[in-house]
Amino acid sequence: MSGDAILEIRDLKVSFRVRRAGRKYQVQAVDGASLSLAEGEVLGIVGESGCGKTTVGRSIVGLVQPDSGAISFRGGEMIGAGGTKLREMRLNVRMVFQDPYASLNPRRTIGDAVAEAGDINGFFKSRAERSAAISATLTAVGLDPSFAARYPYELSGGQRQRVGIARAILPTPSIVIADEPVSALDVSVQAQVLNLMMDLREELRLSMLFISHDLGVIGQISSRVAVMYMGRIVEQAATRAVLDQPLHPYTRALVAAIPKPDPTKRILGAIETGEPPSLFKRPPGCAYAARCPLASDRCLVDVPQLRPAGTDGRAVACHNV
Amino acid sequence: MLSVHDLTVSIGPETAPLDIVAGVSFDIAKGEILGLVGESGCGKSMTSLAVMGLLPQPGPRVRAGRVLLEGSDVTQLQPWQRVEAGHGRMAMIFQEPMTSLNPVRRIGDQIAEAVKVHDGTSGAAALLRARELLELVRMPDPAMQLSAYPHQLSGGQRQRVMIAIALACRPQVLIADEPTTALDVTIQVQILGLLRELCNRLDMAILFITHDMGVIAQLADRVAVMYAGRIVETAPVEALFDRPRHHYTRGLMDCMPSRNSGARRLPTISGQPPAPGTVGAGCVFASRCAGVREPCRVASPPRTGVANGHEVLCAFPLNGGVAS
Repeated sequence: MSGDAILEIRDLKVSFRVRRAGRKYQVQAVDGASLSLAEGEVLGIVGESGCGKTTVGRSIVGLVQPDSGAISFRGGEMIGAGGTKLREMRLNVRMVFQDPYASLNPRRTIGDAVAEAGDINGFFKSRAERSAAISATLTAVGLDPSFAARYPYELSGGQRQRVGIARAILPTPSIVIADEPVSALDVSVQAQVLNLMMDLREELRLSMLFISHDLGVIGQISSRVAVMYMGRIVEQAATRAVLDQPLHPYTRALVAAIPKPDPTKRILGAIETGEPPSLFKRPPGCAYAARCPLASDRCLVDVPQLRPAGTDGRAVACHNV
Repeated sequence: MLSVHDLTVSIGPETAPLDIVAGVSFDIAKGEILGLVGESGCGKSMTSLAVMGLLPQPGPRVRAGRVLLEGSDVTQLQPWQRVEAGHGRMAMIFQEPMTSLNPVRRIGDQIAEAVKVHDGTSGAAALLRARELLELVRMPDPAMQLSAYPHQLSGGQRQRVMIAIALACRPQVLIADEPTTALDVTIQVQILGLLRELCNRLDMAILFITHDMGVIAQLADRVAVMYAGRIVETAPVEALFDRPRHHYTRGLMDCMPSRNSGARRLPTISGQPPAPGTVGAGCVFASRCAGVREPCRVASPPRTGVANGHEVLCAFPLNGGVAS
């Protein structure tokens, strides 16, 4: 797997210091996550709020500083890199954010927003070249070039997210980190944007890390998926395998809890999964033990490590499966 | 229990009103959950606020139509006037429980406050009832949680508190506006299960508003699909998912990722919903409809009964084949 990996994350740990009620706490948002993204692959990261999936994405593009671990892009270490090396990696690894309303500056035109990475890095030799690049990029994401002169308030949510994608692909990156890019959109628009991302991935030969809480969306776009819970990866496998035959008890609950659009298959009341523990009071042992139907004494003291399970590079972090 | 007739909610001047809800009708029986589904801006929340008597003022107003609660007309009454007039009781829960709760008051006091208003009890008796309500919504450790503040609770627990407050008036009708949208799926399934249980146990009528077809399939008995201020299809939930008759309903189902696992591309509905006021003659869905014909662009479609309890606002409804 690591042979043709374009992005490799090893034992990433990220913590935040927070103050609550006058006391200082250390929250371990990511607690030793390892991932590798193969060239041309779409890897999904799925998990519920607070599991650390967004923090993993933000660590990769340098928006948060990890405590330890390694993130390498084409073999070059990204953590602590500076100067031209950092600049080059930033143009190659681009991010699409969740909220298309918050991620665009309301006072700048769409054209300026799209061209920003190019402006900063001196891509354009002339105004004509700049506007040609803006037009081409807007067209690539399915927007009319005339959008360049508009402001974000004139656009719908779906159009804004297209602009978010245009911003990301302008410098022709190799990797796009998409953090819940369709969660804020209505289903009919969501389908359009997902289709666009799949098309762009093919046309631009992108590798993609697709972060989402929605296994339905992940199932659509990614070939492999990593399931996160409380800062750790609990299962990693081909997406089909995870959806059809989840191994980790948490993945099972997650798959079972998807509201199936079929009134003859009702699950209500069949699942009583409890709630995740507070991030401030991480339990010793497995973080899922308190909710887990398979939990044994060992789970309460011993943190399960991700270990290979079956074929296809499948891995699971559980003592009891 | 709840009967809504031809409800029209408008904004703008009296002389040139814009209808954001245009002639919406539905009934909900005791012990029944009606799912109202639609995308952002379709008017589903405005419908629920108008039914509750909670339309923001100044602003949108009920221009026509009636809301009947157990047979009494409550359309133009504010919630407190409904309570004073002794009409039936309605309660509502919202999407984001944190913004609905007072952050600096203990949740026991917040529930007890609602109990005091409706039962006329005070102090210890109200707190005792608050505790009962927390038990009813299956809050873990209810006695302890009475003294908790909202920030100490998880999102799922906060929504349980909101439901407890709503239940304080012993509602006959509960309106739930996207109550699980902000929650994780493993928590969502618990809250949906709780609502179903409460509906059966307390014999309430529930109007459940959501954009999520999956949630509708899991919870609702009957479904009303809303588009551009109109209900375009009403049906029992099995019939709707088995044989959607409106092209919009069919489109919504087809573009759900979970119905398409493995497909190369997702089917989409082209274009975007019309902005209020831009609706001209003809069907509101005509410009995006896969089955549009010439008459659709000029004449409003009729409301047709296609099967028992199954109505569709379409001149050329799908004749039903199972949605792929």
